[in-house]
Amino acid sequence: MEKEEFEQGLNFNRRKFLSRLSLGVGSAALGSLLIPDLFSGKAGAEDAIMDALPHFAPKAKRVIYLFQNGAPSQLETFDYKPLLNENIGQELPDSIRGDQRLTGMTAGQTSFPLVGSYFKFNQYGQSRAWISEIFPHTAKIVDDICIVKSMHTEAINHDPALTFFQTGAQVGNRPSMGSWLSYGLGSENSNLPAFCVLLSRGRGNGQGVYSKLWSNGFLDATHQGVQFSNSEDPVLYLKDPEKMSRDERRKMLDQIASMNDLSYKEFNDPEITAKIQQYEMAFRMQTAVPEMTDVSKEPDSIIKLYGPDCLVPGTYAANCLLARKLSESGVRFVQLYHQGWDQHGNLPNEMALQAEDVDQASAALITDLKQRGLLDETLVIWGGEFGRTNYCQGKILADNYGRDHHPRAFSIWMAGGGVKSGMVYGETDEFGYNIAENPVHVHDFQATVMNLMGIDHERMTYKHLGRRYRLTDVSGKVVKDIIA
Amino acid sequence: MLKTSSIKTLLENTLFVWMGLVLILAIGSNRILLPDWIQVIGRSHPLLLHFPIVLLLLGLLFVWIPGLDQKPDARSIFELTLLAGCNFAGLTVIAGLILVNEDYDRDAIFWHQWSGIAIFYLCIIIYFFRHLSKSFLKPTSLVLALGIILTGHWGANITHGEDFLLAPIQEEESEITPLAEAEVFNDLVRPILESKCMSCHKEGKIKGELRMDHIEGLQKGGKSGPFVLAGDFENSHMIQRIGLPLEEKKHMPPKNKAQLTEEELIILREWVANGASFDQKVMEIAPENELFILASNKFEAKKTYNFEAAEASDIKSLNNFFRKVEAIYPESPALEVSYFSIAAFDPNSLGELKKVKGQIVKLNLNKMPLTGVDLSVLKEMTHLEEVQANFTDLDSKQIQLLASLKNLKYLAISGNPIDDTGLQAISQMKTLINLYLWTPSLSDGQRKTLQTKLPNTSIDFGFDGSGTIYPLNSPKVTFDKMMFRDSVEVVISHPIKTVDIRYTLDGSEPDSLTSPYYSEPIWLKKTGTIRTKVFAKDWIGSPEANFQFLKSGLTPTEYQLLSTPNKKYKGNGVETLFDQIKGQNNHTTGEWLGFQDEAMELEMKMDPEENYSELVISLLYHEGAHIFPPALVEIKGLKSGIWKTIASEIPEQSKKVDLPRSRFLNYDISVGGYESLRIKLNSIKSLPKWHPGAGSKGWVFVDEILLN
Repeated sequence: MEKEEFEQGLNFNRRKFLSRLSLGVGSAALGSLLIPDLFSGKAGAEDAIMDALPHFAPKAKRVIYLFQNGAPSQLETFDYKPLLNENIGQELPDSIRGDQRLTGMTAGQTSFPLVGSYFKFNQYGQSRAWISEIFPHTAKIVDDICIVKSMHTEAINHDPALTFFQTGAQVGNRPSMGSWLSYGLGSENSNLPAFCVLLSRGRGNGQGVYSKLWSNGFLDATHQGVQFSNSEDPVLYLKDPEKMSRDERRKMLDQIASMNDLSYKEFNDPEITAKIQQYEMAFRMQTAVPEMTDVSKEPDSIIKLYGPDCLVPGTYAANCLLARKLSESGVRFVQLYHQGWDQHGNLPNEMALQAEDVDQASAALITDLKQRGLLDETLVIWGGEFGRTNYCQGKILADNYGRDHHPRAFSIWMAGGGVKSGMVYGETDEFGYNIAENPVHVHDFQATVMNLMGIDHERMTYKHLGRRYRLTDVSGKVVKDIIA
Repeated sequence: MLKTSSIKTLLENTLFVWMGLVLILAIGSNRILLPDWIQVIGRSHPLLLHFPIVLLLLGLLFVWIPGLDQKPDARSIFELTLLAGCNFAGLTVIAGLILVNEDYDRDAIFWHQWSGIAIFYLCIIIYFFRHLSKSFLKPTSLVLALGIILTGHWGANITHGEDFLLAPIQEEESEITPLAEAEVFNDLVRPILESKCMSCHKEGKIKGELRMDHIEGLQKGGKSGPFVLAGDFENSHMIQRIGLPLEEKKHMPPKNKAQLTEEELIILREWVANGASFDQKVMEIAPENELFILASNKFEAKKTYNFEAAEASDIKSLNNFFRKVEAIYPESPALEVSYFSIAAFDPNSLGELKKVKGQIVKLNLNKMPLTGVDLSVLKEMTHLEEVQANFTDLDSKQIQLLASLKNLKYLAISGNPIDDTGLQAISQMKTLINLYLWTPSLSDGQRKTLQTKLPNTSIDFGFDGSGTIYPLNSPKVTFDKMMFRDSVEVVISHPIKTVDIRYTLDGSEPDSLTSPYYSEPIWLKKTGTIRTKVFAKDWIGSPEANFQFLKSGLTPTEYQLLSTPNKKYKGNGVETLFDQIKGQNNHTTGEWLGFQDEAMELEMKMDPEENYSELVISLLYHEGAHIFPPALVEIKGLKSGIWKTIASEIPEQSKKVDLPRSRFLNYDISVGGYESLRIKLNSIKSLPKWHPGAGSKGWVFVDEILLN
């Protein structure tokens, strides 16, 4: 009876238990054969993440991001603060400034005198939005755009702030927004890159841009932004050398591809396939790009709409026109950078010139997309990397003053692609220093852009060096209120 | 007897196999790669699951049947049943973990999966500890039985739909209303009244003589006065009551009842503010209104289609480099087709779309050369709603064909020539919601007529440049060098080829009447300024572009700097001043020498054979960067061992911060016959009061010294 008892239950002898346990271990090992990457630490789930994209019905199919590099002052563009004009020269109250850290440029300043806008403001459109007099064309399209006056960021200097806006992190090496979208949604038109970058420089004090801003980071190299040059050849080295026929080029590429294929079979490095694909795309781009950059077929009224500078390669107006053409041809993300918005001093002069450069063409882009029926599916964004202080940097003069960097509140606008039109979202306090209502953090903005493109920003991740990354890092809330 | 016990041992052993497999599959379930044959096992899950339910519940009975301990034979039947149940539970769980890799929503199956796994392990524990006391077995077996029932229920929810079990006795939930149809009162306000107010204000219990269960009651109001008055917060009793502090007796809903949420308060207030209408649609409210924002988050704006999806293989076969065919959103049967690349466009490829003709809702042919292309295939696309064919050179026949499409709601045909026949056809398209017809050739009258014929269509005629007059941009002046020895070729161009370029060489301002036309490159042979402007009909003349060209035929025989430039801006030393390279308007290029603490001092030995007439100093002014005109310019000449002052002057000083620019200072040196010249440029000692950096030292930047 005792022996009987012994043979039952889990308290059978240890050897028997272990031998039975080995059955379990064996079956686990068998099961693990079904999961090839269980112990390799590589992410097999990545494909599953990608297969699910887009996560829901996209409202926008393409993005044109008109980045105003250097940070245009919100107080001379869209955030009308008459209090600053009434109290010009008076000190910014400490209660308003709080513990805001300052840049090295004004940290030494003992006084923070308020300064109001040199430019007059008026209300426009159905939305009665306030717009400064240096943006007369933008004022005309105010009912097509959504002005967000309550943006805020974390960085106080240009490079980290730009990098933060573009990649979701202040330190470089992460993929840019355009790269993420290229990775997530691919290209509509497989003859052109999914992510194109156009640069221009205004007449104001400028800050540089660097190619890390359109870097693919840890994503596949095919998602890198392709910078279009300002010269006669927008994409450098794309043309065949003289007297080389397209057939010869084809043969050459086939040969290279077969050799690359061999080394891929040997090393299994995905960069090799990426390279083959890039050669192939370049071959197709040889016909697609000249079609794209040819402005000779644009009707005269287009020249009038964008302004005659749109025919001068490298100007903001030309880039806006090119952006429309690229977007219209299915380029997922067109990123413009217009430099020269860093008005630490000489603000009235420089801002007037900067606005003159961008106002007409930015508005023209909206009008042009609209008259082609494309605005509904194209998201256009206009804005810089942070705002500017409500107090003066340096001396205040009747027609001359400057403003330092300000991360706590600034304005941008968005249009088309599922964004509500004729709307002003968010408010700042009467000093224009802090946000009073509906703050939108940079990650919220990024989450919203992703959402408009049909992507759940929390679900699109990429595993790299042992952790999963996303554009919005660990935060970001979709601003549903501005989605149409 | 022997046979039974060996079966038992075998079945106990297999339990460990299942345990191991379950463990590994549960950990790695989302990374599993399945061979097809294994998928079959997974799909047997719905079949297998019935066995463990029955066997386990039956086997557990041994705990509950009194006196069974005394009957070992009978008891062993139950035990064997339990053991078989455990094995089936293992198989079922394994099959389930495999099945989950097919398209299941992992959130929905979360509870089912983990409770199933828990059951499996629990029944094994019960089996192996079946000899322990009843005080352990009884509660554990109850937990297991409950677990089995719940897991089964959750599983049924997955296959039969949420709440399948209770659906017949539950109230039917309304479907999500499309935003376009949502009404303010019926879809936003009424649900609040129903859930928070009506229990006391309806037929049978009409408190305060107010009835909310029909609109007449709401319009009539209650004992104290009207329920709502359009736009009138003061006299709308509902607004009054909901706004009172909670402690007040008249506060509604009463203190002990469910209160209104923040969102509900907004909805009620905005409803009254917007007119307290009983039939207003959400779409009629301004989009920036809070009520609209709330509503647009609540109601569905997504379009749904209820036709069959096309074959995935057909869709795949239609995709190529020049044509994209894809669902308008994931899981939608509706397709959109886009064509790219003008050069690669093959008109016959439109015919291939017949494979998915019933599914295409959107067709993008923008910019494709459609001249003479047969578009009749579009007529077969029964669900086609949107066509984009901007800049495709459509002829009136093709437009007539587009006009015959019955379901077309959005049509973009901007940039096509539209004649009367085409216009006539378009005016028949009563189903259109949006029409994009940006075609400058249309007259105002034609536009008006079309809009009256299509009153329900929003027509975008686009930008019409004819009324507006903008300034032209300046012409571009291209040349090799601003400073030349013999002659220089100057080319003037403008991006708009049809403009008139006018220019002057005599220093006068160019105008549109008398100044010479530019037609070919100009060769300049002497120092002078080109001033040029462009003019065109319907444009304001451009701002002027002007360039000063300097003939610099002569160089001094020797030259040396007597002072040192600032070490940051030392260029190529003194050579910089005689390299004949005009610096750009940027002091950091290395083409400029910068002086701040020391004045610039230069000595040049002159060639006695030459006749010098003029000395030119080329300077940079940029107040923003503290670069100012020199405070004093001194020029001295050496003749027979004596230095004589030729010029000592204060050049025109800056009055405001301006953009960076280049300026020349010219001095006449025609008389004298000096052996050497000395130039001294003093930088400004203290910036003027109006400057943001008032008080600090100014800079002088110089890039060339020229002699003629």
